[in-house]
Amino acid sequence: MRARSVELVLLILATFVTVVGFVTIGLVQAEAGDVNFDLRDDVTGFLLVVVGLLLGAHIMIRLFAPLADAMLFPCAALLNGLGYVMISRLDQGLADSQSAWTFMGVAAFCLVLLVLRDPRRLEPYRYTLAVVGVGLLLLPLVPGLGATINGARIWLRVGPFSIQPGEFAKVVLAAFLAGYLVDKRELLTLTGRRIGPLHVPHARHFGPLLLAWGVALMVMTAERDLGSSLLFFTLFVVMFYVATARAAYVFSGLVLFMAGAVLSWRMFSHVQRRVDIWLDPFADAKGSGFQIAEAAFALADGGLTGTGLGQGTPKKIPYAATDMIFAAFGEELGLLGASALLMTFMFFVAAGFRVATNARSPFEKLLAAGFTALIGFQAFIIIAGILRVLPLTGVTLPFVSYGGSSLISNYIILAVLMRISHNSTEQRAEELDEIERSGHSLNVSARARSDWKAVAR
Amino acid sequence: MNKPLKHVVAVLLGCFTILFVQLNRIQFYDADALIDNAANTRTIQRKFDVPRGLIVTADGVVAAESLDTPGGVFSRQRNYPQGNLYAHTVGYLSFNFGADGVERTYNDALIGATPGQELSGLTDLLDGEGNPIGNVVLNLDHELQQAAKAQLGERPGSVVALDPVTGAVKAMWSYPSFDPNRLAVNDGSVANEAWTELVEADGNPLRPRAYREIDFPGSTFKVITASAALERGIATMTQPEFEPAAEYVAPLTERPLTNFGGGTCGGNLTELLVVSCNTGFGKLAAELIGPGALSSEAEDFGFNQVPPLDLPDPAASRFPTDYGSLVAGPSEEIPAGVYEDTPLLAQAGIGQYDVQATPLQMALVAAAVSNGGRVPTAHVVDRIEDSVTLEVIDDVGPGAWRQAVDQDTAGQVAQAMVQVVERGSGRAAAVPGVVVGAKTGTAQLGTDPPRSHAWLIAFAGRPDGPPELAVAVLVEGQEGLDQTGGGAAAPIARALFERYFQ
Repeated sequence: MRARSVELVLLILATFVTVVGFVTIGLVQAEAGDVNFDLRDDVTGFLLVVVGLLLGAHIMIRLFAPLADAMLFPCAALLNGLGYVMISRLDQGLADSQSAWTFMGVAAFCLVLLVLRDPRRLEPYRYTLAVVGVGLLLLPLVPGLGATINGARIWLRVGPFSIQPGEFAKVVLAAFLAGYLVDKRELLTLTGRRIGPLHVPHARHFGPLLLAWGVALMVMTAERDLGSSLLFFTLFVVMFYVATARAAYVFSGLVLFMAGAVLSWRMFSHVQRRVDIWLDPFADAKGSGFQIAEAAFALADGGLTGTGLGQGTPKKIPYAATDMIFAAFGEELGLLGASALLMTFMFFVAAGFRVATNARSPFEKLLAAGFTALIGFQAFIIIAGILRVLPLTGVTLPFVSYGGSSLISNYIILAVLMRISHNSTEQRAEELDEIERSGHSLNVSARARSDWKAVAR
Repeated sequence: MNKPLKHVVAVLLGCFTILFVQLNRIQFYDADALIDNAANTRTIQRKFDVPRGLIVTADGVVAAESLDTPGGVFSRQRNYPQGNLYAHTVGYLSFNFGADGVERTYNDALIGATPGQELSGLTDLLDGEGNPIGNVVLNLDHELQQAAKAQLGERPGSVVALDPVTGAVKAMWSYPSFDPNRLAVNDGSVANEAWTELVEADGNPLRPRAYREIDFPGSTFKVITASAALERGIATMTQPEFEPAAEYVAPLTERPLTNFGGGTCGGNLTELLVVSCNTGFGKLAAELIGPGALSSEAEDFGFNQVPPLDLPDPAASRFPTDYGSLVAGPSEEIPAGVYEDTPLLAQAGIGQYDVQATPLQMALVAAAVSNGGRVPTAHVVDRIEDSVTLEVIDDVGPGAWRQAVDQDTAGQVAQAMVQVVERGSGRAAAVPGVVVGAKTGTAQLGTDPPRSHAWLIAFAGRPDGPPELAVAVLVEGQEGLDQTGGGAAAPIARALFERYFQ
């Protein structure tokens, strides 16, 4: 249970950082006369909510996944908390909805911990998952149901809410891929023919995969959701590589990607525009390049230490609360704060892949790797877009950006990772116990023992 | 599957390293260039959004101040409590449309960015005070400015009053004017709407007519023609005597020059000035003074040059200098010294043809005549004060622009102008107990129905004292023949003098 104590300390730190941010913004805005901010009442209220949420989730973890990794949840809590603080600084209306989404996210997290005791139970349902995933992707294209917001038809209007089913589709499709690849990976690696350095598997085994991937990509392209297309493609390549350990797949994946990229660049004017803006956003800084130019200006204003929370002008950045929120952090918290955010993502990703490495079954291993890659690459794709490393494609910054579907699906991912982590630690503990009980302790090397101790802590 | 996993981790961490490097580039190495990028409105906004001093009149009335705007795009907004009264001198400060007037010319002093203020800020760095922002103290007198506005009423035109010795501008009003608060609002769309409306409005209220618009000065120009003759010994105040005439036909033309109202006039230079005799001045300019001398005299008074003024973009007044080449002579029809365009020179000599002047320039003419021929440097600002300590940071002070004529000539012309008020066309400008000299002008615009610019240039002082106020009044384009300089403009000047000397 040592892991839980570490987690608790980290959670207290995350709470502290979040509340300090909240107080800073409240004081700055109150000084400017924007809002009434009562230091005692408002802070007490906020503190109670944050502590209540995190403590509730922490108790659930202690009850249902006590042996899970200690880093994952505090990282998510910090990202979510800082994100909320920045959103409240940008747009109080969005912040109010975001707090509701956070409640639902944490609730979903607890629910998954409670219900999905053994993720391996998902494995047989892989084809169901594929159908559900593609179905979720297709939903926004259904007339009457779907809605186009900011040029992308990826929304569902349900009453007063807008939902992005694609966010959930990514999770479901990652689970499908994990199940499928575990089932077929030997066939994929061992059968088929060699063509030069390339190993081409049998179409019978490869086909369904390509089909699912193709459908997903086509749907995403039809919905003009370039960011998700890129993310899904990356996910596909990563999971394929982890499952088969064949670099040739990565290579052919890259070739496929290049071909797809060039093709869509030729075919779609909106893709060409993105690329032009990427190459020189300042050529039309007041027009098409506005978003990226404003982000760069915001980051430049931030400099090393930032303008201070509440003291910059991040509202000038288009979509500052959603896609571009990283630039808002760069402005107000500076290079130091933005780097801290990058570090938090790196910690999360490292912890996620550690879960995958230690997972007890191939399915769980692949699932953990896929989920971690989803979070990691999604963060990379949007930050790289803001920083002009890649063309800007709109995806949310996991846990940080405003957006209910994204937040809830990320909390689901988190819960599954925690569950896999707990299960693997538990199993190794049982194995160790069994070995010791049966007296065959001689068979267990000292190395394995110390390994186990490190994990159990 | 753990080995490929490690590769994926390595790739992803590599990706994040790239982000970290690029983040350093943008936020650290390229930051200065990005901040200076022309498209960076943050920089413009930051420059705009700084504390700014007051602008107050000589008698302490606030003409411009900054009000805090909590929660707005900018932390403060410029406020002009006097509405349109100082729109053409104090100007405006607008995020969308920049600045005009004193807000523009004294911007650095107002935000504490003059070299002197920055140096002082540097020495104060230890006590953490930063650059002292400056309050601008105007020469303008609130009461005189209000009087000018009230007197002109809703007639397009200008009133300029300045100290003939120091050049301090005491009043400068043009109608139509505008409320600068409408452009200073932080809401860009509201400011835009106001701007469009003002640009399209009749009479271009945004333009400060007093120093940016040139018009026919009419007979007020005769002061310069008389000076040219006296300065060069072509005439004295008593000699020669011009034959009384109802019209003057210049050489090389058949079109006669007539007197105002079709009258007959003549006599010596004093008489010509007193009754504003067109025929006499036409002949004086065309046949006795000549193009070279008249042009150089006009330029000595400041024509064809941009006058020094601490307001943006003052217009140069205009006197045409090219009258063609000398026509062979003398003969029976053509006297000696006639040029191809001598008929136009006759018109220029009475302030017509293509002679055009700003009211400011004509006020400077009156000032020079009353002040021994010295044209002062006009300035609307008296001094800059530290906004906290009220110590004087910078003193604009008196200045002389140029010597137009010698003291003797100036004195003689001034004497004649006093007679214009005592017994001539400028009687309506007389103020009991005050020495007032003036010259009227009625520049007919040749329109139907007849419209004319009514001018008066004048100076005033206490008996045996220095001149204290020089004035130019222009009432533009008034319909009807009774709208003369003496009838429409002189009473405005008198009201200013009365207010000043009361």
